[in-house]
Amino acid sequence: MSHLSSHPLLRVKELTLRFGGLYALNKINFEMHSGETLGMIGPNGSGKSSFVNVLTGQFTPLNGEMEFDHQSMLGKNCHQLVEMGLCRTYQSVRVFGNLSVQRNIDIAFLLLKKNGLTHEQYNHYLNWLKLRPVLHKLSKDITLFEQRKLELMMRLVLKPKLLMLDEPVGGLATSEVSEMIQLLNELKAYTSIFIIEHTMRVIKELADRVVVLIAGEKIADGPPAEIMKNKRVINEYLGSAHA
Amino acid sequence: MKIKLQHVLMLVALLALPFFTQEDRFLGFILGVTLLSVFWATGMNILYGFVGLMPLMFAAISGIAAYALLYFIAQWHIDFWQALPLATLFASLIGVLLGLPSIRLKGFYFTLCSLIIQSTITLAFIFFPTFTNGDTGINQISPPLWMGEPIKGFIFECILSVLAVTGIVLAYFIYNSQLGQRFIAIREDDVLAESLGISVFLNRVIAFFIVSLYAAIGGCFYATYIGFISPRSFDVLSSLNIWLFVAFGGKATIAGPVIGALLLAPLPFLLQSLDAYKDILSGVLIVLITLLMPGGIYGAYLAWRNSKK
Repeated sequence: MSHLSSHPLLRVKELTLRFGGLYALNKINFEMHSGETLGMIGPNGSGKSSFVNVLTGQFTPLNGEMEFDHQSMLGKNCHQLVEMGLCRTYQSVRVFGNLSVQRNIDIAFLLLKKNGLTHEQYNHYLNWLKLRPVLHKLSKDITLFEQRKLELMMRLVLKPKLLMLDEPVGGLATSEVSEMIQLLNELKAYTSIFIIEHTMRVIKELADRVVVLIAGEKIADGPPAEIMKNKRVINEYLGSAHA
Repeated sequence: MKIKLQHVLMLVALLALPFFTQEDRFLGFILGVTLLSVFWATGMNILYGFVGLMPLMFAAISGIAAYALLYFIAQWHIDFWQALPLATLFASLIGVLLGLPSIRLKGFYFTLCSLIIQSTITLAFIFFPTFTNGDTGINQISPPLWMGEPIKGFIFECILSVLAVTGIVLAYFIYNSQLGQRFIAIREDDVLAESLGISVFLNRVIAFFIVSLYAAIGGCFYATYIGFISPRSFDVLSSLNIWLFVAFGGKATIAGPVIGALLLAPLPFLLQSLDAYKDILSGVLIVLITLLMPGGIYGAYLAWRNSKK
């Protein structure tokens, strides 16, 4: 392995975020390599979404370093990070509801038109996500599952190096969850993925490595099988009914 | 980009309008003011309709441009055509500068902030008489010259109709450009737009600058066309009036603001006997429009046409 590829895609050091007297994130350290699929689990309010918000420039951390693809992420806006190749989705589905599916995709295209996704790639993504039949519908009129797939499509045309998914199966029916897991498994071929979930099932099937966050602190980091045996994780999180 | 026949016909009709009022000075004057309103409403629509921000400091920027124009002409002894770009640029830059603190706000908060800026500038017009002659205003403003001849009457109305049409065509191209796509993305969901790599701040500043250009150019022509300006010409009610043209006609469309201005701008002149009730009438209209036709006349027409399909 060359020196370059052994350099982490994403490196976070001593990251701390504070809201008033509350530490939302406390001295988080972690690294992620290109091609890896990383999961992050934790109960509600453990700081998962805050973590993504800090990494994508919505919140400014109190302390710590963040590096993406050899560049510091500190002080960068969300849109600048997108240009660097770091994209995200939101916990509740977020599309331009009053615009057609086609226009949603066109807007995502605005940034990288010059960078040029080839016509073949574009068509391939469109067929893969089965969005072609709904292209002319308003995006508020398609199903939640289709909206979730549209979100993926809008990120894929941006050619992300890392895609951060905030609960990608949230609100989906059981059968759709399986289909989504299948899609996300195939998505790994196109980009590195960081998934937030609070259900172990999704993480278990997708992630190479899992970070466990509780009350803003990282309490474990390792392969899913190992995490599920970890005493502290079982006591503080997996033992609870929701997992 | 499709250019439809009916749109071209509408523009040609606008250009032809001055010829119908050529004989009657009173009607000609009403037309002149209406054409300025069309230009202004088209400009405000870029921020209100496309980007989703309601700029109530619109008239203030027009005012700054108008006063700057007269000041430049008097101080530097230049003519209208040289002072026009200078005053326009000056007012637009001031407009953007004043707008910067409010541009990060959205929705109601932006509107409120712009209202405060508007009120402050109206007061500034009154309290800096060196530049504005205070509440008395500046009268007998000489019209622009063309080939040594003062432009007035019919010729001025022709120039204003060309100005209005240019403004509409420009707005049309912006609407259909990548810039327009970004504006619409920001209007629909600014957080999502940002996460797709669109700089919300930068694009709002660009939109604000474009709108300031419209306000300022309109202000310069207004001053020299009417021949008299005072702080009252550029107060909150003027801003709200222009907003009403946009909302009444149909925001976020190209035709809407034009229709709104064509229908509403002549009213105060034609109903002069009802002058005392003018402001009440426009207040009632604002309430009715917001409640009954959020998309304006043209928006309601589009919705009706879509439902028929």
